[in-house]
Amino acid sequence: MATQSTTPPNPAGEKPENPALEVVQPAMEDQHDAKAEASKENPTSVFVNSEPIREEQVQNAVKFLSHPKVRGSPVIYRRSFLERKGLTKEEIDEAFRRVPDPSLTVSSSQSAGTNQDGQLKSSPNIQPQAPTQLLQTAAAAPAGVISKVGTLKQSRFQWSHAFLAVGLLGVSGAGTAIIFKNAIVPRLKSWICKVVSEEEDLGKKTNSKPTLAEEAAAAAKAAAAAAADVARTSQEMLISKNEEKRCFQELMNLLDKQVWEMKSMRNAIQKLEGQSDHGRITALEQENHGVLVTGSRQSNSNGKAEFDMRSARSSSPPASVEPSIAPHPKSYMEIMAMIQRGERPPNIREINDLPPNPNQPVSNPQVAPRAKPWEVARTQNTTVQVLHSQESSDGLNSKLQDNGLINRLNGDSTVPWWQRKNVRITEIETEDELKNGFSGVQANERPVQRAWVPPQPPPFAMAEAAAAIRQPKKPSFQKEQLADDQLVAHPSDVTDELQRITKISESGGVVEANGGSSAVSTSEIEEVGFEQN
Amino acid sequence: MPVFKTPFNGYAVKFSPFYENRLAVATAQNFGILGNGRLHVLDLNPSGPITEFASFDTADGVYDLAWSESHDSLLVAAVADGSIKLYDLALPPSSNPIRSLHEHTREAHSADYNPVRRDSFLSSSWDDTVKLWTIDRPTSVRTFKEHAYCVYSAVWNPRHADVFASASGDCTVRIWDVREPGSTMILPAHELEILSCDWNKYDDCIIATASVDKSIKVWDVRSFRVPVAVLNGHGYAVRKVKFSPHRGNLMASCSYDMTICLWDYMVEDALIGRYDHHTEFAVGVDMSVLVEGLLASTGWDELVYVCNWPYGIGVICSKHEGHAFKWNKTLD
Repeated sequence: MATQSTTPPNPAGEKPENPALEVVQPAMEDQHDAKAEASKENPTSVFVNSEPIREEQVQNAVKFLSHPKVRGSPVIYRRSFLERKGLTKEEIDEAFRRVPDPSLTVSSSQSAGTNQDGQLKSSPNIQPQAPTQLLQTAAAAPAGVISKVGTLKQSRFQWSHAFLAVGLLGVSGAGTAIIFKNAIVPRLKSWICKVVSEEEDLGKKTNSKPTLAEEAAAAAKAAAAAAADVARTSQEMLISKNEEKRCFQELMNLLDKQVWEMKSMRNAIQKLEGQSDHGRITALEQENHGVLVTGSRQSNSNGKAEFDMRSARSSSPPASVEPSIAPHPKSYMEIMAMIQRGERPPNIREINDLPPNPNQPVSNPQVAPRAKPWEVARTQNTTVQVLHSQESSDGLNSKLQDNGLINRLNGDSTVPWWQRKNVRITEIETEDELKNGFSGVQANERPVQRAWVPPQPPPFAMAEAAAAIRQPKKPSFQKEQLADDQLVAHPSDVTDELQRITKISESGGVVEANGGSSAVSTSEIEEVGFEQN
Repeated sequence: MPVFKTPFNGYAVKFSPFYENRLAVATAQNFGILGNGRLHVLDLNPSGPITEFASFDTADGVYDLAWSESHDSLLVAAVADGSIKLYDLALPPSSNPIRSLHEHTREAHSADYNPVRRDSFLSSSWDDTVKLWTIDRPTSVRTFKEHAYCVYSAVWNPRHADVFASASGDCTVRIWDVREPGSTMILPAHELEILSCDWNKYDDCIIATASVDKSIKVWDVRSFRVPVAVLNGHGYAVRKVKFSPHRGNLMASCSYDMTICLWDYMVEDALIGRYDHHTEFAVGVDMSVLVEGLLASTGWDELVYVCNWPYGIGVICSKHEGHAFKWNKTLD
């Protein structure tokens, strides 16, 4: 199940005609065609990212890096996160350069808090505009944390106010009690004295009454003051409670919004996964746009989630980190359990695997290195891309090369094999760099004439293959093509090869693969005078 | 089908670039968790079973190996204790290994030899680095440290002598040029760890990545924002992917779902073959450079299978009236 995308055909030149040129002219993305023009002049390696710096990505990265939680994480994890978001090295470096000094941001932490609160309110408006990436779904967490911190700060004031109020209450209560004590006891005393001394001295009444009244008034005043205090503090507490309630409501609303956003993001992602590649291209662009617009929060939360995962690195093999964990063999689990208990499996031996002579000279090679099959193809100036351009008719060579390539891959062989071989040999003779080109030619040719591809494959194999393969045309086509090659290849200089092949196939298998192949190669190589073991 | 039973759990298999019938297998005891390792060098016999040419014991599991492209008898092994060991088959076993290069601080997970210059090789490790070595130097030539997590694979470009790609658990693939100080491209290829990558031998700008997310993605480095193809079909994480040396669009992959799959990414229905002969995680797969269609695989079931695709009858298993896609598990 492969999905194919419309990769743009190389606007710049295809593989250069001269095979000696190792570097390839770069091919740019569609939107940077103008740059392609400029880069054509000085050919650079195609393995370099030649996109210009995307300002939006850099700004997102700056927002991410400015987050206080991100600042506490190691630099390598910040870089790794941004790389996984698709930023190039230059963009990441630019973002690191732009992030302000840590000393400046510490002092304005409070303003940062309020700023983020403001951002919190503005972002929900922008978020619904574009679907966001999977890793942005955890956006809510630090956002909630930030707002929580803010409300906590406010509520802390409220709490301290409440404590103050309680303290005041206590003090006023105690004061009231003391005042009452001071008021009641003397009053009682005086009243008792008055009662006792009423008969004794009527004249003292006038003296004690005003003092009593004064004291009562004073006590009443104190009581009133205390009551007023109590009323005030209780009012303050009520107000603070109301404020707390309001903040809590706000928080709940925000959380609800974020939950809704997460759900919508999840839906969007599911949609994205279900779409074809064409849809994916536009969706990915939308995602990038979403990254651009929604700002740092998602990336912040992203970073947080990722940091938690990264910090849990263990020394176990990668097999243990899987979303749907493949069922491990039972004995594997036993060994893991044993090791976690601290036991050592019993079958381990002490082995000394150090080199007995660290300066042992390396043996001389007995066999010369062989050219790879793809290097042989390269010498013919053909590539898979050129395969599509079958109209090239620059003389016999290129036509034959195209045919040769087509032959190898999936085409009809119209050119006789022996003609192709001659072409290859001349090509190689003119090439300086391919010392072992001959062997490469033979290595390439050999697969065509290999013993296990008999001219007439037994019927059962064909039937099996046809039944098992979903597309019966292709492989049988291949077989036909190779069979054609075999039939076509009847030049005198390889007749002995064919005879050997037919002999081998008749005997039901190659007796000596190595010997056979080397003999085959020797016979082929004889005429070009190259010795090979 | 020719089968070889290894005493330990298989981790990697590679064909020799010099001898058609030779291959090497890297194995580790106790699934590579903790234990010894062994490196086997096997010879294929068309008329009989697979025989062992040599084997080397190591103190820790061998996670990967690479054949030298310059010396026919030289092998590079990536060992779980972080060392890179060199073995010379022309020397007696008592003289082996000839080198033990210990620089990685964590397990060495992969080794790859430069097929163009033939003078250097790469090792990648769980210590987040890739190191470049040559045979003649006792220390690494360069260390590439940019990944944020284990580097599971480092593969040379088949045509550009100085370019290689690395796949890492930090979910990115990086393309490097040894002439440059740092990586030249970063592909955020998957959302989960990337366990393997390989270059298309016939189009040097195409790279395939295999990930824990069960998919294989094929990328063109010239327009790397969107993959050329996404290949789904494996039931679990894809452990290794290998492009065919003979056909540009063909690739083989092995997975924890115990199957080896063959893909043609230019076709709408990309899955063109599947082998399910392994009974445990299929962890290593390789296609021979010298013999078209020769395919070897190994897994945690301690078996090495060699088969020939798609013809069914081959140099190796011609005696068996074998089926193209169904293989017997018993040794013949």
